[in-house]
This record gives sequence, structure tokens and C-alpha cells, in this order.
Amino acid sequence: MKKRVLALMMSLTLAVGLLAGCGSGSDDGTTAAPDTTASAETDGGSEDATEPAAEGEFKGTIKLGGLAPMTGTYAEYGKGFEIAFNKAIEEINAAGGANGYKLEIEIVDTQGDTVTSSTLCTDFAEDEEVMAILGDFTSGACKADAEIVDRYGVTLLSPTASADDYASMSPYCFGIMGRQDVEAPFLAKYILGKYLPEEMGVDVQKVGVIRVDSDWGLSCYNNFMKQAENEAYEVVVETYATGEKDFSTLITKMQSEDPDVLVVMDQGDAVFQIFNQADAVGWEIPHVALGPGTSEQVAAQLTDNNNLIVTSPFFFDPSDPDLAAWAEWFEGEAGFAPTIHPACAYDCVYLIAEAIEAIGDGEVTRDAIRDALAELPAYEGLSGTIEFTEDGDIRRNYMICGVKDGQWTVLEGFEYGAEGV
Amino acid sequence: MGYILNQLLNGICQGSIYALMAIGYSVIVGVVGMVTFAYGEVMMIGAFSAYYIFIYVGNNLPLAILAAFAGSFIIGIVIYKLCYERFFTAPRHISLLCTIGISMLLKNLAQIVFGPETKPVLNVVSNTTFKLNIFGAVLNIRLLQIVIIVLVIILAVALTLFFNKTKYGVMLRAVSQNKDASYLMGINVKRTALLGNCIGCGFGGIAGILLGIYYFSVSATMGSAYSMKAFAASVLGGLVDIRFSALGGLCIGIIENLGIVVTAATFRDIFAFAFLILVLIFRPQGFVSKKGARV
Repeated sequence: MKKRVLALMMSLTLAVGLLAGCGSGSDDGTTAAPDTTASAETDGGSEDATEPAAEGEFKGTIKLGGLAPMTGTYAEYGKGFEIAFNKAIEEINAAGGANGYKLEIEIVDTQGDTVTSSTLCTDFAEDEEVMAILGDFTSGACKADAEIVDRYGVTLLSPTASADDYASMSPYCFGIMGRQDVEAPFLAKYILGKYLPEEMGVDVQKVGVIRVDSDWGLSCYNNFMKQAENEAYEVVVETYATGEKDFSTLITKMQSEDPDVLVVMDQGDAVFQIFNQADAVGWEIPHVALGPGTSEQVAAQLTDNNNLIVTSPFFFDPSDPDLAAWAEWFEGEAGFAPTIHPACAYDCVYLIAEAIEAIGDGEVTRDAIRDALAELPAYEGLSGTIEFTEDGDIRRNYMICGVKDGQWTVLEGFEYGAEGV
Repeated sequence: MGYILNQLLNGICQGSIYALMAIGYSVIVGVVGMVTFAYGEVMMIGAFSAYYIFIYVGNNLPLAILAAFAGSFIIGIVIYKLCYERFFTAPRHISLLCTIGISMLLKNLAQIVFGPETKPVLNVVSNTTFKLNIFGAVLNIRLLQIVIIVLVIILAVALTLFFNKTKYGVMLRAVSQNKDASYLMGINVKRTALLGNCIGCGFGGIAGILLGIYYFSVSATMGSAYSMKAFAASVLGGLVDIRFSALGGLCIGIIENLGIVVTAATFRDIFAFAFLILVLIFRPQGFVSKKGARV
């Protein structure tokens, strides 16, 4: 009897735990904000930040916090973040630092989980030595962190958050990936409404959408629907929880609706898993994805290596020697080819360095970095031109890329969507 | 009609894998007498053992299944030595906490050794689909689904024969039913419990690679969610009865998939665990009808 009662209690605990895990709430904490005017720590314990440290090269050290999903569904991107952050910091320090300050970064693993991200973000925010935070990867995690950085008054610069309501959540939130209210409508108008009919002879009337059930996925879908309504598409949608592996039921359900094109909105492993499971049931339908960019991980794991089209604001053009060299270096470090995501992570460190340079002789504080970042002029980064809007994010242009024989290729350049949405 | 039949087939296939997981889990709990929370990681180790066979030998499914069994069998030895052997007479929560600890250790070690990214498991079984016409409704049966269902049935029958027709099987059943009496009958209880734990882990490993083949990928974190499903299915079977645990796994797979038909995949786990709770409210002993039924 005891064993049965124990089994019942454990089952209830597991079920409650699992359901709680489905939520995406953020930790709102109650700890008071620290003094956000803390100046940069000086190397070697020197009291005077303007004096060179014992090493004789830097005025002091500025510590940054790095949030990245090093494990879990988005591990590929987290690894890219780590490599790019460290590379940029190494380069900046080798060139004399940012305004004479040495940069250092502590990168922590958020596991692609919203709650973990907000906990680790709070740790950074409470550490007065951390002058700015770089990351996280998903919009959901960044939005959970937004309230925290707003309360503690520390900049959160995300390389990849693209939800259009993220950066506007706090003056301390910044993002450089571009916004979903541009990319999702671009997909609806130019891939579904122009490229598929003109280049592939697919007259799109009915669209099947399978999307991740997250803040990012919802933002993508809502923005997509605004344009889809203009284009008069009939849209059928199915959602799944982050971390889902079995899509056979969704595929069967979607197949019964008989759409003209299958669109997947996700950034992680689910993209290739959904398309592979669709291929496995012999469903021949054009595959379009919003979110993965030109991910090598996705291209390498497709069972049909000629059937995927994506939107992308960036492509490592092999004819550009600088981009090609960076891509080659990155691949050597990571073991896989880069997407825009590590390029944005790399740019984020340089943007913080630019902001510190812009502070000049002033005291380097959290607020000074935020103010300088918001007022930075247009910056030419690895991932393209970065100019912050009033909200703190940027607007990008998009091209159409596709997988051909297992390799990413540009199908249509930026000029294809020049009319805008 | 065809749509519902296809969803039912999806459920049976997924439920078959859950059933195999539950069988292994029930063997462990039945023979060792303690609950494990490292089962998901055992499945993951099995999946990776088979994955490396695919990489270095080619898509040889029988060899990969053997590797999955062997890899998980060996991890079963480690888990037994660390989590169970010294704690038979200690309070049960000690070994349970040990399995939670080793679960975390294995998952993190796997991320370091195998890498954090998802590994592809492609084209192990041909992408052939058979169309079956049932009263006008078309049922699409994939070769992969047939392979999985048949394999699970073969393994379940083989295990049943092992338990009923071999000396070691009788010893395992004896230990499962009464350790003290088994000791008095001259059975080496510790060694037999070790064997039971390893066989249960081996079955978990095979379930792991079947999941990998079915979903075309394996990863270091793949086990966590399925560990709960194995436990749930095993609870439905009264924790120690392999036949009813298999039935529990099958039911969970079917309920999940049919639940998605009327709602969304987001609610998959709600259906599985709501079913578990409902069954336990009305039948706290699970599906088991006889008190004290063991492996």
C-alpha cells in the first residue's frame, strides 16, 4: 500500500513539475537594486582608474556578463556565442582595449531556458562589477531578463532576440538581429507570394504553419499573419512545446489539411526534425522556415537536401575575403560553419567597446554605457550596418536563401525585397 | 477516418517505444527493488552507443541494437555499484537521490564527451511507405514503424521467455519476489540484482536508439523527458509487472497522439499525465489485477 501511495505522490509531483516547466514565467525577485554608478574595477587593485595598471597596458578592467544556451536545443548557437564573444574580446584587448580598458567576459549556460536565463541574469545584475550583459539567444529569455535589467539599470544587448516588443520593454534593452515585424511579413510576401509562384510554380493559396509555442514563435506568427491576411492566404497552424521530438502526429494532422507549402517557425533542432518527419511519410511539399537562418546544423541534418528555403539578413559570401576568412576561422574553432548568430555576437562586443570609447574621459558606469550605446552612430559590423532605433533594436533587410545539394546558397539577394512590406 | 487511423498508428508506434522503456524500467524496479531516475540517461548512452556504430560501421541496425544494449548494460553496472549495492538496507531515498545525482553526472559528461549539439541519425531504415485501404480510408504505414513495432514485440517475447524458461530468469523472478527467501535458497542476491539492473538498462538503451531512429537524431539531453514517460508507464503497470507496464506505455503513446488530434502538441504531456493520475485515482495499483505480481 505504501508503495502505491508513494507511486501516486511521485506521479503527481512529476506531472505538476512537468506542467510548471511548460510555463515561461520570469523571476521577478525582490532584491533591491545595487548602486549602478559603480565605476570600472581597476587592474592590480589601483585606486586610480586613469593610471595604467601594474601590467602597464590598461586603465582597468571592465567585466561583461555573457548569457548563452551552451547546452540544450540551442546549443549550437550558444557555442557560437561563446566563440564569437571571446574572439572579439581577444582582438579588442590585443589592440589596446576599449578606451584603454581591458575587457573580460564571464559566459554562463542558460540552457535555452527562460527561468535559468533570468536567474543567471539576476546574478550578473547584482554583481556591481558587471557593466553590461550580452545575450541571451531567444526572445523569450531576453524578454524575461528585460524586467531584471530595467530594475538593476544594466544594459542587456542581445545578438539574436528579434521579437518586436523586446527592445521597447526597457531603455536598457538592445538587440541587433532585426525585428520579426519585418522578417515574418517578408517571408509571407516575397517567399510565399513571389518566389514560390515565379521560380517553383507553386501557387500558394493555403499555408500550413508549424511553430514553437514560445514568445518568439507567437511573435513570428502574429507578424506573419498580418501580411498573410493582405495576401489572402488561408493559414492552418499547429504548435508544439520547446524540446518536442515527436512531430509525426502534427505532420499527419497538417497533411490532412493539404496545404500548398509547409512553413516551420523555430530556430533549433525542431526545424530539421519536422521536415525530416514530413519526408519520412512521403509528403512532397515545399519546405520554408523562419528562424534558423543559414544554420549549418539544419542543412547537414536534412534527409532531403534540396528542399528548404529561408529568410536571412546575412550570408557568408565566399567572394568577400574578410567574411570568408572569419567564416573559415570560426569553422575551425566551432567545427561547423557560422550563421548570422555568431556574427551578431561578435558585433555585440564591438558595440560595447564602441560605447566605452564614446564615453571618453567620463566615468565608465552602467548608465554611461547604456547612454553611449543608444547614441552610437551607424556602425559597420561583421553582420552588416547596425543603427539603433529609438526602441533599441535595428531594422534589417532580408534575402532568400535555400539548401541546394546540402549547401546553403543565396536564391535571391537583398534587391528582391527592395519594395519592402 | 483515414486521419484517425493514421494518428492511431502513430500512437501505437510511439507507444511501442514507451512500452520497451517501461519494460526495462519495471525489470529494474522489480529486481533491484528501488526506483531509478537515471533511466533517461541510460537510454541516451544506449542511443549514442548505436549512433557511433552507424558512424563507424554503417547503418547496421542489428549491430547498433547490440551496441545500444551493451553500452547501457555497462552503464547499468556502474549505476548498480554506485547507487544500489551499498544501500540495500539503507532508507530508500538514499539510492533514489544517488540515481538523481548520477543522472546529472551522466548528462553533463555526455555533453562534454559527445558534444552539446544534436547528432543526425538518418536513413537507417528505408523511407518506404505502404498504403493500406481499410473500408475506403487510406492508412499510411511506414516501414520504420513496422520495424519498431515488430522489434519491440520480439524483445518483449524474448524477455518473457528468458524470465520463464531460463535458470537466470527464475533467479531474477525469485529475487524480485522475495530477496530474503532467495538468499536462503542459495541465490546470490546481489549478483542477480546486478544482472536484473543491467538487463533493464539494456532494454532502455535499445529504446533510446529506437527513439533516435524514429526522430532522426540523438542528443545528450534526449533522455530527461522520456525518463518520466518510462516511469509513468511503469507506474501504470504497478511498477514491477512488465506486461502491464508495456500496456501502460502503449496506452500513454496512444492517448498522447489521440489527444493531439483534438487539441495541440503543446498539450501532449497533459494528456499523458492526466491519464496516469486518473488511472491511479481509480486503480491505485495500476493495471495490475493481482496483488504482489512481479516480473
